[in-house]
Amino acid sequence: MGSYMGQQEHGISDGLYTYKHHREGGADIHVIFVKKSKFRVLLSYMGTMFLLATVCCALLSKDSLCLGSLWSISFASIIAKCLRCDPVKKESLVIMPTFGVQLEQHFWSGRVHRKFVPIGKILKPVLNEHVTPVSCYCNLALLLREEYDLMLVFKNLNPPVKMLVPIWKALCAFVDSKTLSDSALPQST
Amino acid sequence: MALALQAALVCPFVWLNPHHEFSDIMDGQGTKHRILMVSDFFFPNFGGVESHIYYLSQCLLKLGHKVVVMTHAYGNRSGVRYVTNGLKVYYVPWRPFLMQNTLPTLFLTFPIVRTIIVREKISVVHGHQAFSTLCHEALMHARAMGYKVVFTDHSLYGFADAGSIHMNKVLQFTLADIDQAICVSHTSKENTVLRSGISPEKVFMVPNAVDTAMFTPSPKRLSCDEIVIVVISRLVYRKGADLLVEVIPEVCCLFPKVRFIVGGDGPKRVRLEEMREKFSLQDRVEMLGAVPHAQVRSVLISGHIFLNSSLTEAFCIAILEAASCGLLTVSTRVGGVPEVLPDDMIVLAEPAPGDMVRAVKKAIDMLPGIDPQIMHLRISYLRILGWKTVLPSYDHQLPTMAPSRIPTGILTQVLPQPAEGIEEVPDIGPLHAHLGSSNGLCEAQEK
Repeated sequence: MGSYMGQQEHGISDGLYTYKHHREGGADIHVIFVKKSKFRVLLSYMGTMFLLATVCCALLSKDSLCLGSLWSISFASIIAKCLRCDPVKKESLVIMPTFGVQLEQHFWSGRVHRKFVPIGKILKPVLNEHVTPVSCYCNLALLLREEYDLMLVFKNLNPPVKMLVPIWKALCAFVDSKTLSDSALPQST
Repeated sequence: MALALQAALVCPFVWLNPHHEFSDIMDGQGTKHRILMVSDFFFPNFGGVESHIYYLSQCLLKLGHKVVVMTHAYGNRSGVRYVTNGLKVYYVPWRPFLMQNTLPTLFLTFPIVRTIIVREKISVVHGHQAFSTLCHEALMHARAMGYKVVFTDHSLYGFADAGSIHMNKVLQFTLADIDQAICVSHTSKENTVLRSGISPEKVFMVPNAVDTAMFTPSPKRLSCDEIVIVVISRLVYRKGADLLVEVIPEVCCLFPKVRFIVGGDGPKRVRLEEMREKFSLQDRVEMLGAVPHAQVRSVLISGHIFLNSSLTEAFCIAILEAASCGLLTVSTRVGGVPEVLPDDMIVLAEPAPGDMVRAVKKAIDMLPGIDPQIMHLRISYLRILGWKTVLPSYDHQLPTMAPSRIPTGILTQVLPQPAEGIEEVPDIGPLHAHLGSSNGLCEAQEK
């Protein structure tokens, strides 16, 4: 069973993730789409059904509401909250020359989360190897000035390195162009 | 479906064979391996096991092998680090729970071990130290996946106390299916074979080595008007700190021109401090505390005699370092210590205060005939203790066959295969090849 790496017209796909790159209005846009997980959606519906069933049982039972039924409703709420998922549809990186970069997360529910990082704040983009207690994977991160923590470019996705490399190169070129323009400025006397 | 689930519980590793081909691991220059060193003991923690893993890894990198080290996180040191010559170290965020060991979970370390093995395209897994839980688990998981495994034992253990009985049981389990084992002395080999019950033909003796270029004697010979005895060890029971408490006052009483320098720290330091106060030896016994490894040589060359009072030692790299610095060694005759140095470089004694005092007296009498430079040259010349000579023995023991695959049969048709989410890391090559560095560890010993 091998992974499928087909080269699309303006992107790369491996079955789970699809990378697309295009330019729009002077901005350089790198987008990674993720395939929707039907299993997670199913789990989310099951959690919601479980909560509804628990509440209905508690309300329709002949006994009055007691501590046990309140506990079961609370427990069902926690389970439903944990199983609830708002899957990510795509995450994108928009490079705006001379301004900065914008990190976007688009969810299937229609919600969009955006974060802008000015160019002066970016020290260096890095391909970082994350080690967790159970796994190890590569991800693209930004080293920021005067901040200790790394900022992940793709917070919810783990795309393969072959998709991260062109994005990293584009970010490096963007940061280097800023450095060059700063050094080309005449020194104030 | 129920049968498949039961089979999955009983045979969890059957369907976890690596799928990549092993033929492309060996490059065209010969049999080159990709070795994963696993132990709970590595830098920044310092000791014999740690330095053994480090120096062995450096020399293997020089020979063209790829080496990766896996250990647990040390404080904020978590994640991937690159040390000298591009040695990659995985500090897995498993917190140590007892004596620098990770919590033994038996199966919970399997995902990260498999991930590292697959992404680094490892061919041989080498575990270090019988007391390391991470080592045992990694060896078990590696064998389950069909990789070749090697185990190096660095310590001697008993047979009677409860801790040793349990440790020996774990060792029997782990070593039941290994390919080869390495011990650092003949005594250690005998001890390991008896404890684990493995075949002696599988166990090889590869002694520890010392970097003689790093441990050189002082260019100026010390005067014998005042004799300085150096002690550098962890001040714990196993290292004979209680013996020191008995020996030092007696030696100071018998020999007025003898002075002691004690380096190291540990729970027994309090006893030594009390001894100093009780016998008013503040001006004759200097306590340095913990000595960084980079400063060990500067402490050693300030003395004439090195005193080792360990109650058990598989090899004792410390006396090797002391001999390389030109010191005459006085040591307890325990474990593998008699195998380390020739008889004219070491005075052995039984682990009893009276015998040790007698050995110190004999060493003081021998001092005028000791030339530190000649002693250092002998250590380098003999080459039985240098990494350059030890390494071919180790290299020879590395398994040359490709890893075997566990027969899977019908279960692979029933059980779902794991998704391929593990990417292989590209080889960037050793850093010294890029930086043009020529001061490698092994090359320095040719001088």
